[in-house]
Amino acid sequence: MAGFPVERIAFDLAAAAAVLFASVMVVHKHPVKSVLALVVAFFGLAVCFVLLSAPFLAAIQVIVYAGAILVLFLFVLMLLNVDVEARLPGDRRPLHVFLSSGALLLFAAALLSLLRREGASVPAGRYGPAGAEIAPLARLLFSDYLLPFEALSVLLLAALVGAFVLARREGP
Amino acid sequence: MIGGIPLGDVLLASGALFLIGIAGALLRRNAITIFLSIEVMMNAANLALVGYGAALGTREGQIVVFFVIAIAAAEAAVGLAIFVSLFRHTESINVNEIHLLKW
Repeated sequence: MAGFPVERIAFDLAAAAAVLFASVMVVHKHPVKSVLALVVAFFGLAVCFVLLSAPFLAAIQVIVYAGAILVLFLFVLMLLNVDVEARLPGDRRPLHVFLSSGALLLFAAALLSLLRREGASVPAGRYGPAGAEIAPLARLLFSDYLLPFEALSVLLLAALVGAFVLARREGP
Repeated sequence: MIGGIPLGDVLLASGALFLIGIAGALLRRNAITIFLSIEVMMNAANLALVGYGAALGTREGQIVVFFVIAIAAAEAAVGLAIFVSLFRHTESINVNEIHLLKW
């Protein structure tokens, strides 16, 4: 690990980009631009996955998340013709804002204390280049995790039917 | 190869993403943006899982992330279908205007 920590810098850059665009997603008033910002954030996360020796998940992240799920969001947004988020009269009640920010601060504090402890105790990995191979992953998925995998296919079918039934126009 | 990447960085990024997701879910009023914030939280958990998996040298983390992504796809399909049918009823997806179950 001597010399310039290229991987660390690349990871930090990609993670910073992901965090930045995720916050753009939250802050932006226009939902379509929110979705587009999230696409960029998920690409950053895919880069993180590659650097953490999970190239299969990086591909899945790009294809399924950025490619399918977020495009589905875009389709629905354009179908519903959602405009910029309107501010209703009773929207920002002081109690609501107070409780929300209190919960956020509490969670941030808990997270920071946890990170300080966990980051120090868990050793940085010894995952060689061989760890990035996909074949062992597939073997694991189709042996030990075969039952969850098949259950997942049933779940996806159920979601397909459920989405069809829910979004169907009622009436004659 | 996590050789050069300390686990602390991974967890920090994951925690920051999760906080952003919580903030979005609590503060935004657009149902679809809230949904996107939930996706961000799931991705934060995914990042932590992959980071720990790489640090501990196991593949179980990646398997779990695989399942999470598939379940997120199912959840997005059903959730968006609910929003579509909700929009037909109320002409809005602002969660402050949706109070069918609120008495």
